[in-house]
Amino acid sequence: MIVRLSAALFVFLAFTLTPANADDAAERYVQIILDEAEPALAAATQEERLAGIAALVYTHVDMRRTAMFTLGQYARRITNAQKDAFLPLFREYATLVYQDALSEYSGQALVVTGSVDRSARDIIVISKVKGAEPGDRFADLVVQWRVYRNRDGVMKIVDAGAADIWLAIEQRSQFTSIIANNGGGEQGMDALLRELRNRVKNG
Amino acid sequence: MRILRCALVLACFGILPAAAQLTDLGDPMSVSEALKTTDTTQLADTPDPWEGFNRKMFALNNMFDDLILVPAAKGYRAVTHKKQRKGIRNLLANARTPVILANDILQGEFGRAGETAGRFVINTTIGFGGMGDPAERMGIEQHSEDFGQTLAVWGADSGPFIVFPFFGPSTVRDGFGAAVDTAIDPVFWVRGNPAQYTRFARTTTTIVTSREPLIEPLEEIKDNSLDYYASFRSFYLQSRKREINNGRTDYSDLPDIGEFEEFDDLE
Repeated sequence: MIVRLSAALFVFLAFTLTPANADDAAERYVQIILDEAEPALAAATQEERLAGIAALVYTHVDMRRTAMFTLGQYARRITNAQKDAFLPLFREYATLVYQDALSEYSGQALVVTGSVDRSARDIIVISKVKGAEPGDRFADLVVQWRVYRNRDGVMKIVDAGAADIWLAIEQRSQFTSIIANNGGGEQGMDALLRELRNRVKNG
Repeated sequence: MRILRCALVLACFGILPAAAQLTDLGDPMSVSEALKTTDTTQLADTPDPWEGFNRKMFALNNMFDDLILVPAAKGYRAVTHKKQRKGIRNLLANARTPVILANDILQGEFGRAGETAGRFVINTTIGFGGMGDPAERMGIEQHSEDFGQTLAVWGADSGPFIVFPFFGPSTVRDGFGAAVDTAIDPVFWVRGNPAQYTRFARTTTTIVTSREPLIEPLEEIKDNSLDYYASFRSFYLQSRKREINNGRTDYSDLPDIGEFEEFDDLE
């Protein structure tokens, strides 16, 4: 009886008290990206820095999945033509956003400090600025990377956040608001495409 | 510059909630005229059923910000040194201790209540009335609490997002919480002209000192947003969630991003 209870207790504890799972593969994946980003962030000129960040974004960000996420409930309502127009525009827009966001860390190096599994395929990898001293502006800052593993096991970045403020969630708030406020559906999506074209054109 | 930079700046200054509540800036006209009128109640992930009203208040606050707050914040920056501004921010934060302490206790965060009380004693004495922050150097970090957060910890739902004229973005719960915080602040209960002047001076200084470090970050978000109102709303709600969790991030309530399996086939 005691043995059985102990076994049950062990199983219970194993399933309930395990700390938020870490995903070593996702952590390694993000660290490789951050190592690749280091020379880009240390680039002497802004042009080099932006080009370096853009190259990383093109390689490691799952633009299609992120783009569809930012459309919220409208993702499945747009026409194929609108989707074809939206995806390249979003790619350019998101690259601009990442360039702006990551330029903040010019001359810095980021290091992975842990990860949390939302599911086996949806992992949050946590990083910090390497060598930030207490009192430093980067000292308490946590930069988060949302990694999604597709059904073939390929990992890509789908969102990035700092201090729990996420880029794609903020983009979704804007995009869905623009679509809804312009009649929703196809008409609203056309308005979003116009706004994105203007934004991308202005750089 | 986008939201990451703003988060970074705000997180570094540790003034996000106060700033978010005290400042509200924006130009919702950047999208189109149509944005002003249409309701977006259907947005399940954005509790903003009063968007039409909120956008009008947002525009009003933005005008107030452009005309009064930003010039005041720039003037304040021009006549003060960075260290002086830090000292003034410390002083104001120290003066808010009773409210933070009460909310620490109401939330059952007795460890943090001890930190709040400890910081107050240390900073008020060897920190020259709170201008300095020796407590932080001793490893007792500053944190903020308010009654809106307390209500959230007690399980109260945020209710809809609302933009108050002149007070900026909030939620129904947090707006009620702000009123309670005002009422439980000991300064509120002191009568007489000197107390009234003190209250006025403290409120004014808090608004200007909160706005000052946000001049560039908010300007950049405003310039780069497709819809500044929606961007600001998302920013406020996300950062507020972090405040309520006392920085202990809960990733389980992030929206699902992997639901578009059919798009895998297109890769």
